[in-house]
Amino acid sequence: MKNILLKTAFFGASFLMLAACKKTLDPKNENPYGASSELLSQDFNNIKSLFSPMFNNVISTATSYQTQQGLQGDVWAGYMGTPTDFRGGSNNTTYDLVDGWNNTCWNLAYTGVMANALKIEQRAKGKYDQFYALSLIIKVEAMHRIADSFGPVVYSKYGTTAAIIPYDSQEEAYNAMFADLDNAITILTNKINAKEASTFVGTDITAYAGNYTKWVMFANSLRLRLAMRIVKVNPALAKTQAEKSVAHPVGVLVANADVCKVISPNVTNPLSTISGSWDDIRMSADMESILVGYADPRVAGYFLKSSAYPDYKGIRTGIQINAKSDRVSFSKIGAVIENKETVWMTTAEVYFLRAEGALRGWNMNGTAKGLYEAGIASSFEQRGVSGAATYAADNVKLPKAYVDPVSAVNNAAALNNVTIAWDAAASNEVNLQKIITQKWIAAFPDGQEAWSEYRRTGYPKIFPVIKNTSGGKIDSATGIRRINFVESERSGNPGGVATALTKLSGPDNGGTRLWWDVAGPNF
Amino acid sequence: MKTKPIKKGNKFLCKGAFIFLLCFFMSSMVSAGQILNLGFNDSKILDVFVKIERATKLKFIYNNEDIDKSKRINLAVQQRDMVDLLWEITAQSNLNFKVVDGIIAVSAQHLAEEITGKVTDSKGLPLPGATLKIKGANTATTTDANGNFKLKAEAGAVLMVSFTGYVTQEVLLGAEHSLVIVLKENSNTLQELTITALGIKKVRKSLTYAAAELKGDELTNVRDANLVNTVAGKVSGVVINKGAGGSGGTSKVVIRGNSSFSGNQPLYVIDGVPLYNATTTQANSVFGGGRDGGDAVSLLNPDDYDGMTILKGAAATALYGSQGANGVILLSSKKAKAGQKSISLSSSINVETASSLPQFQTNYGAVKDAEKSWGAAATLENHVPGFFKTGIIQSSSAGFSSGSEVALTSFNYANTNGRGIIEGNKINKHNFSLKETIKLFKDKFQVFAGGTYNTQRINNKPVNGFYFNPILGTYLMPRGNDFQYYKDNFEVFDVSRNLMVQNWPKNAITDKEQNPYWIINRNQTKDNNTFFEGNLGFNFKVTEWFTLASRYSYSDLTSIYEKKMYAGTAPTLARANGGYVLQNLKSIQNYVDVIASFNKQLGKDLNLTANLGASQLGITANNGTTFNAGNGLQYANWFTIGNFIDNAGNTQSTGVKKMLQSVFASATLGYKNFLYLDLTGRNDWSSTLANTDKNWFFYPSVGLTTIVSEMFKLPEFISYGKIRGSFAQVGKDIPAFVTSPTSTVVGGIIQNPNVGPRPGAVLKPEIKSEFEIGTEWRFVNDRLGIEASYYNSVSKNQYVEVPAPSTNPFGYVNYGFNAGSIQNKGLEIDLNAKAVKTEKFEWNLGLVFAKNISLVKEIPADLGGRINLTGSGPNSYRFALIQGRPFGIIEGYNIKRDNVGNIILNKDANSSIQKTGWEELGTPNPNFTLGFNNKIKYAQFYASFLIDGRFGGKVMSMTESMNDSYGVSKASGDARLAGGVNIKAIYSDGTPYTGLYPAESYYTQTGDRTGTSGEYIYDATNISLREFSLGYNFNLKSIPFIKSASASLVGRNLFFIHKKAPFDPNIALSTGDGFQGIDVMGLPTTRSFGINLNITF
Repeated sequence: MKNILLKTAFFGASFLMLAACKKTLDPKNENPYGASSELLSQDFNNIKSLFSPMFNNVISTATSYQTQQGLQGDVWAGYMGTPTDFRGGSNNTTYDLVDGWNNTCWNLAYTGVMANALKIEQRAKGKYDQFYALSLIIKVEAMHRIADSFGPVVYSKYGTTAAIIPYDSQEEAYNAMFADLDNAITILTNKINAKEASTFVGTDITAYAGNYTKWVMFANSLRLRLAMRIVKVNPALAKTQAEKSVAHPVGVLVANADVCKVISPNVTNPLSTISGSWDDIRMSADMESILVGYADPRVAGYFLKSSAYPDYKGIRTGIQINAKSDRVSFSKIGAVIENKETVWMTTAEVYFLRAEGALRGWNMNGTAKGLYEAGIASSFEQRGVSGAATYAADNVKLPKAYVDPVSAVNNAAALNNVTIAWDAAASNEVNLQKIITQKWIAAFPDGQEAWSEYRRTGYPKIFPVIKNTSGGKIDSATGIRRINFVESERSGNPGGVATALTKLSGPDNGGTRLWWDVAGPNF
Repeated sequence: MKTKPIKKGNKFLCKGAFIFLLCFFMSSMVSAGQILNLGFNDSKILDVFVKIERATKLKFIYNNEDIDKSKRINLAVQQRDMVDLLWEITAQSNLNFKVVDGIIAVSAQHLAEEITGKVTDSKGLPLPGATLKIKGANTATTTDANGNFKLKAEAGAVLMVSFTGYVTQEVLLGAEHSLVIVLKENSNTLQELTITALGIKKVRKSLTYAAAELKGDELTNVRDANLVNTVAGKVSGVVINKGAGGSGGTSKVVIRGNSSFSGNQPLYVIDGVPLYNATTTQANSVFGGGRDGGDAVSLLNPDDYDGMTILKGAAATALYGSQGANGVILLSSKKAKAGQKSISLSSSINVETASSLPQFQTNYGAVKDAEKSWGAAATLENHVPGFFKTGIIQSSSAGFSSGSEVALTSFNYANTNGRGIIEGNKINKHNFSLKETIKLFKDKFQVFAGGTYNTQRINNKPVNGFYFNPILGTYLMPRGNDFQYYKDNFEVFDVSRNLMVQNWPKNAITDKEQNPYWIINRNQTKDNNTFFEGNLGFNFKVTEWFTLASRYSYSDLTSIYEKKMYAGTAPTLARANGGYVLQNLKSIQNYVDVIASFNKQLGKDLNLTANLGASQLGITANNGTTFNAGNGLQYANWFTIGNFIDNAGNTQSTGVKKMLQSVFASATLGYKNFLYLDLTGRNDWSSTLANTDKNWFFYPSVGLTTIVSEMFKLPEFISYGKIRGSFAQVGKDIPAFVTSPTSTVVGGIIQNPNVGPRPGAVLKPEIKSEFEIGTEWRFVNDRLGIEASYYNSVSKNQYVEVPAPSTNPFGYVNYGFNAGSIQNKGLEIDLNAKAVKTEKFEWNLGLVFAKNISLVKEIPADLGGRINLTGSGPNSYRFALIQGRPFGIIEGYNIKRDNVGNIILNKDANSSIQKTGWEELGTPNPNFTLGFNNKIKYAQFYASFLIDGRFGGKVMSMTESMNDSYGVSKASGDARLAGGVNIKAIYSDGTPYTGLYPAESYYTQTGDRTGTSGEYIYDATNISLREFSLGYNFNLKSIPFIKSASASLVGRNLFFIHKKAPFDPNIALSTGDGFQGIDVMGLPTTRSFGINLNITF
């Protein structure tokens, strides 16, 4: 009897143990819903799939847009104002820079764009160079925006696994971006010349739909944009890069079909939600002053009329807000954002860049006046409004004074005293103000780019903040010049941030001017 | 009386004492029918015995007087059956042999004779009803009313005498026919058994570490929907914070302080099988984004358990290796008893009312259409108390148990249902459990199987924070509005949309504030959690000293969460057409183990207990799908996933998928019942360590205990004294998947891995090394007892997940690596006294004291010496670990003051108040805790009460700061009545501020979620009457079929004897690690009263 028991017991035990030991430890330790590299290599998705997060994060197509750009460039460029008293009324709009917001643009640029661009480089460079070239163009489009916000950035040294990830100075980053654009343009131009069919068709969610020629046009235009940005700090290089773009056989954006825009299949422009159901963003006082003053027909597409006051009503940025409800009834953002499109660059902007180049005596394939008026016409065409010629000839209308119906302390006289019409007799400075003001109107709603050009040129003049809670870091008259480095970098890459500080011309706060941001007149 | 202690065959045993390899035990097992090749040439009888013992591994036991030692045996060497051999020896020696259970009992040739005797206790008092049994025979009897017995037995037979509450004694019958057998009482704990790690029962006195025990009635006497809440105040070193989810919500349990940067909840073990206590989500934001998703422990039925053992230190939990770092709570389920059949019914009903509500002003209304109440004077009613209802929780359970010699069956069913103090909050819970044990082959082989099924549904589980919280709108409603009107008309018809939309004072609908009744009715949530556990196992007593056991358990926790947000909900929370969230998560655990246990006397003074085993644990946790209409619904109020505008919010995820394989061994060596050496070792192989240097880790422990009272003759009044010390290492596994980061895809867009190892870092488990010493004394016949422990632990290699610099080349959001250490040292003292002990009146007192000092010893410099467990976001609260500070520091802003305490004002139009940057405001950890437990019995009455106290620590109330800035708090009203806030202030240029400071300006600057939170820090010290019960045991001897019946009045959280904070600081908004020491519109604490009825047939 005992033997039987024993055998049963040991048999049972061994059975259980065997059953247990049959399952060896999973050597992978992988999330079952994650993608393995084998899975992704099918259809070249290990390369192609990486473009989707890049397209969606240069300018976020999700509501993270609000803290990526909506409460930074969009308000600092004088495009929009918020009725909301975020953080008890002490926030970016009053120059109390909110780390918890301002890290969004940084994080999206690196985790959404740079990390994927690096993978594309590793997987495609030398093998499928067209993908590498396209990733470089998108990378520059994303990263110049970051460099233009922070100054020094991690760009050329990105990809190191060393403990310290060093920063480039903004100048080094710009030079690297020029080189990347040159490289991309060369690769793609060769493919165009060789008449290679595009392998980017299904992957490209921009309006270009994989067309290499359009991408080269965009890359040239982007190079022109960067060139103009550095005109005050390095005019010689600016001229070289700008003329190279315009002279390139493929050229720059010229038609409305060339507008660079992401058309994200799933999502409506996030501004629709932020302005609509969240009621967090409205027309700015500056937009009201300029568009209404000029009787600009584009205003109807840009904004909705106020639900409580006659006509359009904008919010001045940097004011005392007692309750959100005070200004929720001001003008919402209009039809321009009621679609799935996120515009990266308008054709009008390129004309205005060329107009400024011509004004500076560069070979821009046109006269300053001609290019200026072509820019206005292009923008009118893009926005589907007529009367560009009449508008461009108007030498009477001026921006109007601003009245805040809630609190008169925010009222202000108009700052911009220039008319629309080109004035050959006027100084370069005045004509530049006209060019930049029109570019500012045309580029709406990309406040990030408008904020950069505002800082470079000082145009259009923007109502200064009245409430300044920066604690003395940012001068109300000079306005905000940059964003301080983000918390995750200060704590996660302190050695890298230390390299950045030596490449910054002042303390790490919003009052320090960037490399290309040189005080003084433009000419 | 001439019985002798049974002499063991010690020579043989010494040989193999420490070898506990299985093969050894295989060879040691022989049957009586074994063939032997032996012979004796004029051998002394005792030498013959030795030879046979060596050959068979059987042992002889005998009474010296029975044996004529000069007797010699002669037998030729040849193969014989063992039985034949013994017969031949009998023929030459006049001795009888009987083989029973591995021993050969030797007796002189006697005939069965009548033996009489008496069984008494140590004081000589007779023990009526004691059982006497002849070992290996069917003869048995019991003592009569005077403790006397009579039975027939042969000399040499072994008589087993047992009586409940006394140590069973074996008596070898000799020539003596009249015996007095004295039984030693069990009650002085000398033989008391405690369930320890892996379900191994150990003699309590031999433990080298602290192990607290709670009896089953402690869990059910004054019940709580979550059984772990009933532990509060009863066990030193265990801090329980009730979660914010109300009845049925989770609780935060911390044993001996937080020892990890992440994850400090203990391991729960039911009948030896680890319970995977998966928690789905916990809040970690002021906004209330995370909810209390529930866990497995909160689903258990307290009636199913006999009691609880809490293993606090590393030495106690060392056998759990990489799962043991946070302490272990062992639950043992109720088992049927052989020979007993019973049906028990119990029912309780409890009513709950809100207590510790904030105070509100009733003197000022809001300006028309304003969100905040800073308008003109008015006479108002405080509508807040009326919002909270009386909650009722009813629970009833029925149990059946039946035991025969062969089978033990028990079945329990319980149902709990009720409603909370907020309208629409309902709970309904069903628990089923079934247990079956079959005993075969004279109890040698036991097979057991069991299962529990628990299902709980909670409607509108209370949430904390700003979003979807009806309390927020109730507190902040612009005053002057009619709350009752908005209750009756929480929705109104919108002609333009042809649907009902939310109705609440104009402009007061924000992301935070909504009509409370809209939230209750149109933002409804349902939590449906189901937990199943089934197990199967056997227990095989191979010999008296060797047992083999194995268990298999499967458990499954399913959590389904649904939330419907109607069109009309605040637009930040749900889009114009409404929103819908459906989450379905499943956690599965498979566990199997095999344990061989040995208990062997090695000679006269040495005893060895050893265990050797292996286990495998496979876990898949929080595996499931979440459908979230983040961008809204296509058609209004149609709550189905096909109606989502897009797929961007839909995700599939797995929290954990891992396997842990382990081998373990433990040995306790006892010397003369007063010195015990305890050694354990466990090696864990974990799948989460893939792609690291090694996938295994070893966890050792060593402990030593001396029973001083047995070792030395101590004065009479000391009944028990023990000193113990131990050292052990336990660990904590790293989270799954971290070592193998993969990309995921959401809404068609690839997401880079959320976390991956920091470059250069090789991940390894956390390791906690703990040193513990303790002592235990009892005096005056155990009337007074004290137990004290001191421990010092250091937890190294903390797993840290910190935001990776976004510039990292992998696109990780966070880096995971090991860094930093936490130290906890502390003292625990448990005192108990039987203050009064007479036949009619008993009064037992218990006092538990614990002090824990935590210290974050090291956080790497490259993290700036700090880790934010809860980031600030835009709020003036954050919760951080800071090097050189205790675990968990609350930080916020203060009003800037000069060195004599004047508030510094800006010289501007508003004379605005200057604020500091981030400053430390305090730690929520108590300095020490005290629990005072009283149990009184007088005749048929019994009563108990528990006073629970926490001393020291700080908490913050964002509820108060919101109420202040919205002008609804009493403070804001009083300030207006007084004409302003009386502050001592100067301007930044040094000129003094004169007059009262305008109340609105003051409170809107200092209050709100972004204000000077330092003004809203309170001392967390509180003392409360945690439990109270008064009951009566009915004496129903006249009704034969009723075994017992009782009724009691009970109360829980009755009142605070002392409290400074404006809310109950024992409630944690999150049972995770972050978000501690703060109240953000949390559910007020509840006081409950009830009636319990129990009846057993």
